[in-house]
Amino acid sequence: MKILLSYLGNLKEYIIFSALIIASLLLIFQNDNIQVRFIRVIAVNVIGTIQDGYSFIPNIFELERENKSLRESNIELSKELSLLKESKLENLRLNSMLEFRQRTNYRVATGKIIGKTLIQTRNNITLNIGEKDSVKIGMPVITDRGLVGKIVAVSANYSIAQILLNKDLKISVKVQRSRVDGILAWDGEGKVRMKNVSKSADVKTGDIIITSEYSNTFPSGIPIGYVTTDNTLDNLFKNIEVETFVNFETVEEVFVLKSLSDDERRDLEKKFNEKVK
Amino acid sequence: MKEYLKYAAILLGLIILQKTFVSFIDVTEFRITPDLVIIGLVYVGIKKGKIPGSITGFAAGLVLDIFSFSFIGLMALAKTVSGFVSGFFNNEQKIERYLNSYIFIIIVSICSLVNNSVYYLFYFQGTNLLPADIFIRYILPTTVYTALFAVFPVLFARRRRFAR
Repeated sequence: MKILLSYLGNLKEYIIFSALIIASLLLIFQNDNIQVRFIRVIAVNVIGTIQDGYSFIPNIFELERENKSLRESNIELSKELSLLKESKLENLRLNSMLEFRQRTNYRVATGKIIGKTLIQTRNNITLNIGEKDSVKIGMPVITDRGLVGKIVAVSANYSIAQILLNKDLKISVKVQRSRVDGILAWDGEGKVRMKNVSKSADVKTGDIIITSEYSNTFPSGIPIGYVTTDNTLDNLFKNIEVETFVNFETVEEVFVLKSLSDDERRDLEKKFNEKVK
Repeated sequence: MKEYLKYAAILLGLIILQKTFVSFIDVTEFRITPDLVIIGLVYVGIKKGKIPGSITGFAAGLVLDIFSFSFIGLMALAKTVSGFVSGFFNNEQKIERYLNSYIFIIIVSICSLVNNSVYYLFYFQGTNLLPADIFIRYILPTTVYTALFAVFPVLFARRRRFAR
């Protein structure tokens, strides 16, 4: 401290001189005429040059503030990006569905899947549409890719649909190419199979499976999936495994076809079956 | 204290002279006048050193600024610098020699040159005058004219010395 005071004492003359110079300059800058304005420009340039000279030296506090601010905007941008990605995907899905809706001849109700079970032997989906949207039990549920299932329960605003991955759902189907008929059902273990197909039937890997006109629930021609395996199960039937077009793990929006089974046809078939028995 | 009052009185007298009488003896088309205040300021600087020199310069310059009705602070700046420079010639052994000989005229010339350089180079900023023009038209003539007037105090001091 003593050394510092002694050092400052030696510089006393220069300190006072500097103070007087600063006082003079402050007085000058209080004026507002052309000379002063010009000097101010020079001063700004000089200060700017000096600041530019040491701008490469990092200011820790400034860096910390900047870092914090950047992190905050990074989080904001990430959120925004995620929303945009989500919107883009949704837009693609909805576009595709809109195209399908315009293509199809049926009246449809668009629903969003709000609940889903995929780990049981009887899997279902819950939709956010119900009686208010004219949804009724038995109506087929599809997407632009293919068949999803059928409505089995309805409330005012919600409905539940059995999906293809449900042991209780059996559908009359046919091979699109060769028109071979069969029954499609889920084996409860992960495979959708086409049953009742004789070993001599013309079914090949890659063949597309569609709903048959024999079905009293689903309109004919709705694509379901394609054949992945066509091994002979025993001496009589083939073991045909089908990969569904609809990916039940990712599907989010569906259509409910406002098409109900023909009651007259159903009654006739019922009566005939009873008579035969 | 008495001594400082004497210096203040001398400088005040010189300022009054500068603002009244000196304008009658201007020369050249650029109305160059001698700077009598700087002569008094150099005297104080040689006698008392850098701090009194610069403080006196600042005070005298400020008074001149106020009376000049130009922009305040410029003459204070120029006189502070020249007062400080004159303080470099404050040497106990040589004070009398500096004040009573023609060395005083040289010191006045140096301080006047510094004073005029600071003042005119600032004063003509923003105009089309080049620094060289400013030097030839204003700085040099004012310095020489001031140096001529510095002869009088030297003669006065020498006469007093001989009278003793």
